[in-house]
Amino acid sequence: MSPPSRLKGEYRRAEHEGEPGTSPPSRLKGEYRRAEHEGAASGAPTMRTAAVTISGVSKAYVMGGNPVPALRDVNLVIDAGDFVALTGPSGSGKSTLLNLCGLLDRADSGKITLDSVDVSGLDSEQLTVLRRERLGFVFQNFNLVPVMSVFENVEFPLFLQGMPEAERKDRVNRTLARVGLDAFAKRRPDELSGGQRQRVAIARALVKSARVVIADEPTANLDSVNAAQVVDLMRALARDEGTTCIIATHDPRVSDHCDRVVRLVDGVLQ
Amino acid sequence: MKWLLLAFKNVGRNRRRALITIVITAVGTAAILIGGGFALYTYQSLRESAARDTGHLVLAHKDYFDREEDTPMALGLPDYQALKKELERDERVRVALPRLQFSGLISNGDKSSVFIGTGVDARGEFQVKGPFLKILDGQVLVPPEGPGAPLEVMLGAQLAKQLNATPGTVLTLLSTTTQGSLNALDVTVRGIFSLGVPEIDKRAVYVTIETAQKLLLTDRASELAIYLDGTESTDPVRDEILAKHPDRAVRTWEDQAYYYVAVRALYNRIFGLLGAIMVVIVLFAVSNTMAMAVVERTREIGTLRALGTLPAQITRVFAMEGWVIGSAGALLGVLVAVGVAGLSLVAGFEMPPPPGRSVGYPLNINIDGSLYTVAVVTVVIASTIAAWLMSRQAVRKSIVEALTHV
Repeated sequence: MSPPSRLKGEYRRAEHEGEPGTSPPSRLKGEYRRAEHEGAASGAPTMRTAAVTISGVSKAYVMGGNPVPALRDVNLVIDAGDFVALTGPSGSGKSTLLNLCGLLDRADSGKITLDSVDVSGLDSEQLTVLRRERLGFVFQNFNLVPVMSVFENVEFPLFLQGMPEAERKDRVNRTLARVGLDAFAKRRPDELSGGQRQRVAIARALVKSARVVIADEPTANLDSVNAAQVVDLMRALARDEGTTCIIATHDPRVSDHCDRVVRLVDGVLQ
Repeated sequence: MKWLLLAFKNVGRNRRRALITIVITAVGTAAILIGGGFALYTYQSLRESAARDTGHLVLAHKDYFDREEDTPMALGLPDYQALKKELERDERVRVALPRLQFSGLISNGDKSSVFIGTGVDARGEFQVKGPFLKILDGQVLVPPEGPGAPLEVMLGAQLAKQLNATPGTVLTLLSTTTQGSLNALDVTVRGIFSLGVPEIDKRAVYVTIETAQKLLLTDRASELAIYLDGTESTDPVRDEILAKHPDRAVRTWEDQAYYYVAVRALYNRIFGLLGAIMVVIVLFAVSNTMAMAVVERTREIGTLRALGTLPAQITRVFAMEGWVIGSAGALLGVLVAVGVAGLSLVAGFEMPPPPGRSVGYPLNINIDGSLYTVAVVTVVIASTIAAWLMSRQAVRKSIVEALTHV
């Protein structure tokens, strides 16, 4: 699958300018070129490709000097464009798996491929660039930057990518309009309700046309009306953008809306 | 620009804390500037005092500064009049004044005391001394009007007190002549002065050089005091004189200004230490503020890193916050220091006499561009480094750990 044209443009500009911190790792650039080439050769993709592939992944935490397994030999393929719920009881390994998919943590063993890139051997900076370019995050506690306005919060990922200001402005305004918050662009997060804040967080995740959005309990702090709105919004935006969404949730109202539900118990996929 | 804007906004998050840190930084900066400004004023005053006392340069016989004379004026300058004329042809030389150093006994008939005398050129000596010679009673010496003119003397305050002398009192000067015999002259007290150092005022006597020569039976001068248009001309003029007169010795005012050199060494240590302490205080204040900010913003830092912000970009924002605080504090400190310096000029505060001196001096604070630049740059850099160091702990934490921070 060909990466979005804007991202390709970003990478070319970063390569050309040699801007420190924005230049993608050479392996990533190679992956992009290959994906580009394959996409061009085959025309519009006819088969769904894997957005995330997890092969034989295990992860353990050390507590009190003893290793406590969080994931055991997990194998999972999530297709591009899928809207997937990760469910399971507390301590089942949902968040751990989500962190691994979001490149926020490293597996002890196994292999993870994100958007055709094997991330196992990437260093910290390469992972950061990959997160910046291809991943979006929605957190349970919204995690908006309190000193930034709604507009600035949504704009921030585009700023990190080095997108020109005019293009950023246009894209942020469009995204805010889509989540129904264009009238709140100048407000600070603390001037918004919980539902509105989560919509800002969704706008921030989707504004950069992320390949994969990682959402950790996005409705946990919302009432039922807001929760439903948030899920519908994520679903609609993901569908329109062709974004893969992986949502860790306890909430059946969320999992009921998903294409696929993956259940984890004691670190093992059911 | 975006990062700087973010840094500004972050500084404004906890306004009270930021304000306290800025005030501490300002106090530190102001203390450095006020202390440094006072030290610079003191150096300047002592420099001027030393230069006015001895002259920027003192020219004498080749051995004059290194060995004692076997007989009075044995190492004197016989050709000082010609030298004076030659030196004063140089545009940088304001005036060259001959002096004759001698010593002896001074008596009021009932009581005698040892004195250290200087025969001076009354036409120029008291003009160059300016405010550093305080006339307590009577008047300064004037050039003798003719061979029969009365011989006059000026006494240091303590010596005048010892001899119960006031202007008009007749005293006798007794000294050894150049031939080794004793000679005496009756002189009338014309004025009483103080140089601000009791030990000197107890022995000091000024007479005209003509009177001194008459007492010592000589036509020589001990030295020529050379006053220049500015201190910066000192070394070049000295080098030129030495090149032209290799048979003479020349010393600069600084070579002879032992008090100035000692005070400067002492003040450099005192105010250098004070400045270092202030910089450390600023360092701790900013470190403390930034450490609190790092803890409070741990989850936010985790979020920013999850979104793809590089650790270096995060530490840069914190460093900018330190820079903002440091700059604001330094700027405020500059304003306070300038205000205090202005107030010291207007109010005319007096410092008590330093050890070994009998008169105080005005508490003035110099506003010096170099001092201000160095102090401000040091404070801003210290503040920036403190913030940067604190922020490093923020990015060392794993993202997952940061995101779950409560």
